[in-house]
Amino acid sequence: MADLASYVIRKMLLAIPIILLATLIVFLMLYLTPGDPITSLTPPHASVSELDEIRDKYGLNDPLYVQYGRFLWLIVHGDLGTSIGATTRNLDVSGLIVQKLPLTLELMGIGLAMSYSIGIPLGIFSALRHNSLGDRSVMVFTLLAYAMPSFWLGILLMMLFAVELEWLPIEGTTGGFGSIILPAMTLGIGNAALTTRMMRSSMLEVIRQDYITQLRSRGLPEREIIYKHALKNAILPVITVIGLDIGWFIGGSVVVETVFSWPGIGMLITSAISNSDFPVVQGCILVLAFFVIAGNLLADILYAYVDPRVRLG
Amino acid sequence: MRLRKALNDRLSTWKMAGGVRQTAADIIERGGRNAMVVIGFIMILTIVSIAILIPVLPIADPTQIETGQEVLPPSSDHWFGTDELGRDVFSRVLWGARISLTVATVAVLVSMSIGIVLGLTAGYFGGKVDYVITGAIDLFWTFPPFLLALAFAAALGAGLTNVILAISISYWAGFARLMRGQALSMRERQFVEASRALGARHWRLMFMHVLPNCIAPLIVWASIGVADAIVIESSLSFLGVGTKPPTPSWGWMLYSGKDYISEAPWISTFPGVVMVLTILGFNLLGDGLRDVLDPRMKGQRR
Repeated sequence: MADLASYVIRKMLLAIPIILLATLIVFLMLYLTPGDPITSLTPPHASVSELDEIRDKYGLNDPLYVQYGRFLWLIVHGDLGTSIGATTRNLDVSGLIVQKLPLTLELMGIGLAMSYSIGIPLGIFSALRHNSLGDRSVMVFTLLAYAMPSFWLGILLMMLFAVELEWLPIEGTTGGFGSIILPAMTLGIGNAALTTRMMRSSMLEVIRQDYITQLRSRGLPEREIIYKHALKNAILPVITVIGLDIGWFIGGSVVVETVFSWPGIGMLITSAISNSDFPVVQGCILVLAFFVIAGNLLADILYAYVDPRVRLG
Repeated sequence: MRLRKALNDRLSTWKMAGGVRQTAADIIERGGRNAMVVIGFIMILTIVSIAILIPVLPIADPTQIETGQEVLPPSSDHWFGTDELGRDVFSRVLWGARISLTVATVAVLVSMSIGIVLGLTAGYFGGKVDYVITGAIDLFWTFPPFLLALAFAAALGAGLTNVILAISISYWAGFARLMRGQALSMRERQFVEASRALGARHWRLMFMHVLPNCIAPLIVWASIGVADAIVIESSLSFLGVGTKPPTPSWGWMLYSGKDYISEAPWISTFPGVVMVLTILGFNLLGDGLRDVLDPRMKGQRR
């Protein structure tokens, strides 16, 4: 286990430059916006004293690297700036994010659970009936689900379950648990297609291996071979990349939350963009990027945990 | 995301044999016998020809607002009905194809050029150059392109050029990674060495010998890249940071049609269906070409 610990530490150190790049991009976003940066950080018609205060805080007259240093310093202290949007004026960006984050995490959690509970059984089914009609239909489903941008899938599900059948609420959070089903399903189905494909190819690879043939020749029942021996090995590569899925879900949640008016981080970004509330946009993107990096780290660690060869590389 | 990563790994280690002419002949000959490639190609050909010919086709103006014609169901006058401002949905869907395809193609060409130059330089020269460029590639490769594009688009503001720019900056790493992997193995090949021995300069070796032989994996990645770029562009437009209205864009049409899904589902259904078919076409072409061109599969599928 000592080699695992040193591997984890090594990977964590490697994440530092990536975090720095994320902060750098978010910092530079300010200079990509057309016009004087000060206008992006202050509300319209700000008073001279407000302008001076912001200019002072971010040192906008200093050289760029000093400004970046100051920006990093503020982030480390949990200060992501102050909102300038009409309804959230003068609120702390970090406070806003902390308030919205649980809703996004809830959505992602249920979405992930849905994508695995659809993808894994479907992948196993497909692999065990390789090249059959059922297998082909599953493959067509994955192709279609994969080509479907999440906002369009969301609208379709909304048309079917909320408008036609009236089973579930159309949007918002007022419907209790019912209101999370459609957004989580939208988020989950795209990823379920990937999980299905991975599970299928991994299972196909495993059941062609010698030890499975050996078990068959010993006369073990097929059920036992598949579920007791093959599945254990086949499911590992599918599960270990759960961290990478977080990156996919983070991007997807921005769109899905906007479709279903689900008031998490994604909605916060979209409304901040349309209100030109730049500090909130910056803060949210930073938090999302952080989740992507953490997800990647998780994937690396899980992979090394499962496959000891990786740790030494 | 992770499928893309696995695909990129695979493409960057393809060992192509036989040179450019044979690869091109291979693509046509074996691609023509693969159902996915053929179906994908026909879908792309149809939508691309419509997108190119649209200015001379006799259809309504996509931005023409007709009062009194709002939210009409599909009829012989308006095949796909009209939207909330009385604009012809059929015409907007087809013009939307032109916009989406332009954005996606230009963005893929730009990110491919960045990727080829950086990846080729890194893989060909190796050493310190490689170390620096690979670092940059890895940093960008960590983030999903959609998230990067969202950050850049949010900063740059809506508009056609800004969207193209945002997608290009977010998508180059995949091309660079692929190109670097190919260049690494290609520079050791005998024909490159022979040319070097004859006194060819670096740029000649890179662009006349190494690059043309990596054409097959680049085509596969580019085809899938166009599909991804269409998804990113329409998602950005859906969020309001893509192309600006009144430019007809699929994402924006779906966003504004969302409010009418109970009384006028045609406003969002038709753009959605055409969009999915287009994305599917590029995905099919990319996946199919990967299958038939994969050197490890050679001979198995004949």
